[in-house]
Order: sequence, then C-alpha cells, then structure tokens
Amino acid sequence: MIPVCVLTGFLGSGKTTLLGKLLKSPAFARTAVIINEFGEVGLDHDLIETSDESFVTLQTGCLCCSIRGDLVLTLADILRRRDEGTVTPFDRVVIETSGLADPAPILHAVMSDDALAERLTLAGVVTTVDAVNGAATLVRQPESIKQVAVADRLVLTKTDLVDETPPALTNRLTALNPSAPVLPASFGDIDPALLFDARIWDPAAPSLPSPATGSPPRSRGGVPLGGGLGWENELHEHHGAHDRNRHDERIACFALIREQPIPAVALTLFLEVLAEHCGADLLRLKGIVAIAESPERPAVIHGVQHMFHAPGFLERWPSDDRRSRLVFIARDLPREFAEALLDAIEAEVRETTIQQPRDP
Amino acid sequence: MTDTLGLVHRLLAASLDAWQVDGQVERDSNRITLTAGAHTLLVARGAPPFRWTVTLAGRERGVTSIAGLLRTVRRVVDPDHQASRLRIAPAPLVSP
Repeated sequence: MIPVCVLTGFLGSGKTTLLGKLLKSPAFARTAVIINEFGEVGLDHDLIETSDESFVTLQTGCLCCSIRGDLVLTLADILRRRDEGTVTPFDRVVIETSGLADPAPILHAVMSDDALAERLTLAGVVTTVDAVNGAATLVRQPESIKQVAVADRLVLTKTDLVDETPPALTNRLTALNPSAPVLPASFGDIDPALLFDARIWDPAAPSLPSPATGSPPRSRGGVPLGGGLGWENELHEHHGAHDRNRHDERIACFALIREQPIPAVALTLFLEVLAEHCGADLLRLKGIVAIAESPERPAVIHGVQHMFHAPGFLERWPSDDRRSRLVFIARDLPREFAEALLDAIEAEVRETTIQQPRDP
Repeated sequence: MTDTLGLVHRLLAASLDAWQVDGQVERDSNRITLTAGAHTLLVARGAPPFRWTVTLAGRERGVTSIAGLLRTVRRVVDPDHQASRLRIAPAPLVSP
C-alpha cells in the first residue's frame, strides 16, 4: 500500500516552503506530490524543486468544493503512470491542499474510492500554522480552524520571526487539537520522519493521547503546550466554554474513556447513530477500543464525517493502559451527547444479551 | 440493575442540545415526556421486540432500539435534519 499524506494549512502558512525542503531531503525521495491551488493559474508547483526521484502535479480549483472527483482521477492517473513506468515508482503521495480548503472532504475522498483503496492508504494529516499570524488567522478564518482540528501533526512555521510563540496561539492549538504534537520548523527545516511516517492507526503515535499519564499534549521539538493541566482537563475546560455563537468555539475536541470493554455490537450501533445524527459535523474520530469479545487485541478505529475504516485489530495492547479511548474532533457535538449515547447503547446491548434465551 | 430509562432520559436531553432544538425532557417512574415546539412525545419501555414505545398525538408506535428511538424523535422535533448513513471505507486502516 502507498501512503497518502495530506498537507494543509492556511494561505501563507508555509506549506510550500515546508514541502520544498522536504522534497530535497533524501529521506523524502520517491514522492509524488499533488498540489491544489485555488485559481486558474497555479504558481506553487513552479516554486518547488524536487529531487530526480520525485515529481509534482498540479490541480486548480478548490479540492474540497467542487472538484473532489478530480482528486480521485488525479490519484488514479499517477498510479497508472507509475505502472506504465512513465513516472518515478513513487513510495508515497503528498496532497498539498489550497490554503482555503476544508480538509475533511479531501480525507473523505481518499478513503472512499473503491479502486484507490486497493493501492492507497490514508497516512495522516499535517497542518502548518504560522507562528506570527496564526493566532489572528484562527480568529478570523473558519477554514483554518478545521485545518488545525483534523491534524495528526501541527507544524509551527516562521518560528525564526518570533522570540517566543505567542501564548494565545499555543493555547488555541491546545484547545482545538490537544492530541496533535506541535513541531517547530524554521525555514521549513524539519525531519520528514516526524511528519509523514507516523500512521494514524498507530496507537503508540502521539496522535492518540494517552490519558493514563494525564500528561499534557505531547510535543516534539520543544514547543510546550498547555498550562500544566492534563489534556483531559483541557478538553473538559474547553467544552465547558462551548458557545455556538462564536464560530471558532463550535469546533471542539474531547475524549471518552471507558474502563470496561465495550461489546462489539454496542460500538457498531454507537458509530451508526453518530454517523446518522452528526455525520457532517464529525470532523474526525480516532480511538483504541477494548472490545469485549476480543480483550487481548484492541480495535483501532478512525472515521471522518460518516465514513469509517473497518476497525483494525492490534496484536496486543501497546501499554498497560487497557481502557477504551475515543477522541472526537467535531463541530457542534456536545460531549454529553456522545457520552450519554454510548452509555445508553451499552446498557441496552447488555440488557438484550442477558435476556437472550440460552441454548439448551 | 441498570436504569436504562434513566439513561435514555439523559440521552434525550443531550440530544435536544446537540440538535439545537429547544425543548424539555422530564421523567416520571415509567415514562419520559419530551416537549419541543408544538410536539409532546411520550417515551416508555415496550414489550419485545419493541423495546420502546413513542406516543405522539395519541398514536403509539413501537421501536426496537435506542437508535430507532432517536431516529423517531428527531423526525418529529427536527424534520429538516438530513440523516447520513455510516459508510465503511474500502481502504484498510492497517496496511497489510
């Protein structure tokens, strides 16, 4: 399978600079890049130099709006050219979105095409945030909030232009996406392995928080996040401040923790009801779940809006923490609804199981 | 013994909040009364296979699960809602 990484970030946040640096790195060779630019004439692809083993292709228009199908066609096309030998046999694909793009539909497109699914797998989302203007952008531009909220990794760019990352920015990033590590990058310099080689399903990856430790959101590279609260507390605190009249407060991240294993059918029903009632607002859901029928092999789940991967089962628990942990990034989805829903469905399933007649 | 009716009461109250529907949810010993706009729905335990009953304007109907109960309630109190269905991505989560 060829991993597909999505690189997003608001206009001017340093996506192209970052990508340009990465593509010169030997560790990032054999990469196919799809650049999406908003407008009829694209420039970014001309600004990126690659090694001989990588190549760049361009799409214009906004991927997340009207031409999502074009992305699928482009991906199919580069796979065909790879098979024909007319392009480098690339080992990964990076999709650089336009600065105005909502990344959720793009993830949806990558996940949902039957033909592509045989060869491509979504490997994660990296979002660039400008250390100078990022805080203001997050106040003014709703698109940037979604870009931050769905990230597996946040890259803080232009850190050379500030003495210290503004606390307003770090606090905002923590509130929006406490589980994504924040990685500083000056002039686009960053180790590619920190960005694109972490899989979304890897429970050991920092993209899935470990509430057992009560630790604040993890960072690599020294950008501290949070003010000494555990990430769960930060999530609760943010949720408590929920105010639907402010667009930037409509997106929230929270986690559900379960001590007891969850029956498989309860998890299925829970996801079905979430998709039915909150599908469009469920930006991402990631989790590791103790399934009652599979206590030694936890299930890893991942969904974008109403589209979910079939659960992947790990060989074993990655740590001593065997609690189920579901991390939600959603718009207008109160934690109380998700929690009450899971409680009620679990109770109903257990009740039904008890009432089942036993075999003679 | 789990108080499933109590859990459903809590769920219905949380649902109105999540759906941004103004209303009230109250519970007595054996049923839940949900009021939203001009609608009053009575929710009670049913007999298998209908685990729940929903009564609206004197008409009672049975639903088999909490998922069905929520769907029934939402159709009444939030008729413009466009439901989506869970889809399973063809792409695997774990690379082979």
